[in-house]
Amino acid sequence: MGNLDLRKQSTNLIVCALLLTLPFWIDHVGSYIQLGTQIVVMALAAMALNFLLGYTGVLSFGHAAYFGLGAYGTGMTIRYLLPSTGVGILVGTLVGALAAAVIGPMIVRLRGVYFAMVTIAFGQVFYFIAFRWNDVTGGDDGLTNWKRMPIDLGFTTVDIQHNATAFYYFVLVIFAVAVALMAFLLRSPFGRTLIAIRENERRARFMGVNVNFHIWMSWVISCTFMALAGSLSSLLNNFVDPRSLFWTQSGTFVIMCVMGGMRSFWGPLVGAAIFVALQDYLSSATPNWQSFVGLVFVIVVLFFPRGVMGIFRRKATE
Amino acid sequence: MTKDGFTSRLDRRTLLKAGAVIGAAQIASPFVRVARAADTIKIGVDNPLTGTYAALGKNEGIGMAMAVDEINAKGGILGRQVELSIEDSTSGDASTAVAKARKLIDRDQVSFILGNINSALAQAIANVANEKSVFHVVPGGHTDSVTGSNCHWNTFRVCNTTQTEANAVAGAVIKNAGKKWYYLTPDYAFGHTLQAGMEKAAAALGGTKVGGDLTPLGTTDFSSYLIKAQAANPDAIIFLQQGDDGVNVLKQAVQFGLDKKTHLAGAQLELEVLLGLPPEARVGTWVFEWYWNQPNVPGVKEFVAEVRKRSGGHVPTARTWFGYASIHTCALAAAQANSLDAVKMARAMQGFKLPPEIALMPDGAYYRAGQNQLIPDLYVGHPQATGKDDPEDLFVVDQVVNGADVSPTLEETMCKQDWPA
Repeated sequence: MGNLDLRKQSTNLIVCALLLTLPFWIDHVGSYIQLGTQIVVMALAAMALNFLLGYTGVLSFGHAAYFGLGAYGTGMTIRYLLPSTGVGILVGTLVGALAAAVIGPMIVRLRGVYFAMVTIAFGQVFYFIAFRWNDVTGGDDGLTNWKRMPIDLGFTTVDIQHNATAFYYFVLVIFAVAVALMAFLLRSPFGRTLIAIRENERRARFMGVNVNFHIWMSWVISCTFMALAGSLSSLLNNFVDPRSLFWTQSGTFVIMCVMGGMRSFWGPLVGAAIFVALQDYLSSATPNWQSFVGLVFVIVVLFFPRGVMGIFRRKATE
Repeated sequence: MTKDGFTSRLDRRTLLKAGAVIGAAQIASPFVRVARAADTIKIGVDNPLTGTYAALGKNEGIGMAMAVDEINAKGGILGRQVELSIEDSTSGDASTAVAKARKLIDRDQVSFILGNINSALAQAIANVANEKSVFHVVPGGHTDSVTGSNCHWNTFRVCNTTQTEANAVAGAVIKNAGKKWYYLTPDYAFGHTLQAGMEKAAAALGGTKVGGDLTPLGTTDFSSYLIKAQAANPDAIIFLQQGDDGVNVLKQAVQFGLDKKTHLAGAQLELEVLLGLPPEARVGTWVFEWYWNQPNVPGVKEFVAEVRKRSGGHVPTARTWFGYASIHTCALAAAQANSLDAVKMARAMQGFKLPPEIALMPDGAYYRAGQNQLIPDLYVGHPQATGKDDPEDLFVVDQVVNGADVSPTLEETMCKQDWPA
């Protein structure tokens, strides 16, 4: 047991070390810092989804809606209300959380494929609002004419607007706080209850657990972190468009989780890194890059059903 | 299963894994980049290679590659050879297009960036290019704002604005058909802009709108809209759908016999779309932005012959010319400024007239100062069911309109350039 803990810690340490030193080595492997930032943002999104998918056992295909709400919330705040990155992130995340809290009670009674379908339906509602409301959201052209603002800390100003490395670390700090919060929640009795629901919902119910309420809580937490990821993504691009709300984007997040490993805490991060890097690299090499991404996904599902992180875990338990 | 022992380990799974690793290594090896010769000049292309606009992107690519070969044959840009860095922007995913633009600018250190066919992506790339102060050329994204309300000092555009196209075609439709128009418009930002442009152009010539419908993107059955349009008894039905929607709506309109009862027309039409239409649906009044069959314009014949060699015998389309003119714009800007500094190049291109062997138009083409919009000729005419001498000669040019006469004035475009101090 002690051995296993040490190994767990070593995974955490490796992930931390790699992320912290990323700006120093990413140029040398033929990549660039924005890609690193994108990986961290997508990893946060995938880990947020995995809170619900991997730890509560509920499959949502509509998480892009909250990703997009966070993105639009941030973009529209900076553009129309107040040119402040901090306020933008706060508003974006709150908008996503609020929407999830309101929609949650309507869907937590559903299970399995029905839950997934209704999440898609609600997601598409937001997509069409963004797509059609040209005057406010910019419609299909997306929300432009705004950019992330430097962070004023009182004693100093962090220029995340022009300094890509500063922005990477800004995103990484938020990522670290969010991930630590999720890890803390999962280790708490609340998190253990979620896992109990995942393993056997009926038994959890007989033990007196209010299952629907717990799923609602898990849903809201998951969507809140998703909105945070969306907010960071909009800051990364200085741009939002309705695609970020489209259901295929939700599918991408699910693919990241499955590829990396849903049962592992860092699995979605690995999945996101593989997905983003593959997409970036293959799409430069061939117009048929989507086939190759699909091929990798099929191979993972066929041979490593627990994802890339599942391989390591199986090795360790053998 | 024994745990130690070499033979037992080499089972099917291990073999598969090993195969996968070796396979991955094959793809991954060029990932670690060898430092390129520093003396080449890179032009980044962030254009669709997949999705709805893949075919258009491919044609622009042919023109670009051809221009690069011509430039390199003549000694390159400022004595340095030119190389294209091509990235797939996708046809509609703006965050990918933006990420690719950053990749080209930050990692590949391109001196110029080109893109995009999709107006939304063109605008998004323009904003990145502006943030990074990189010379940007939009080959084929038409929405007005790129060189209008959202223009930048460093963004140049080869294709026309939607308003210019609308102005060019409006007069011909009124002359051929009449003043009462009915609109069928795709329901998204681009469609709305285009319809507003057509209405404005028509109003200036006394045309009126007798009705209209917004059709959702991806509509396959237009019959209810067409019946309504027919009932309104207009002089002309204006079709603003693009791509597959455009093909479907025109096919169905002809099946309904609307081409016999009223006049069918629209704004921009492309040779790629005409080739995709059945012969009987090649009808109406439209505007082309460039056409390959211009017997009286010097240089066009040679250009067509050269493109045929590169495209498997196909003629150049407006897209091929957009790509060609975009790359030459980069080279000309560097030559004019005698520098690769984006500000100097952009200054040098204000009001710059393209040489005739690149413009390939009767009246030539120039970049309007203060807006960076190319003002070329436009070709108003009607399609023909089959080409007489060439199967791809599907358009008959009735009138060449000088862009200077139909472009909105600089004030009307609302472009205010944000030159760096």
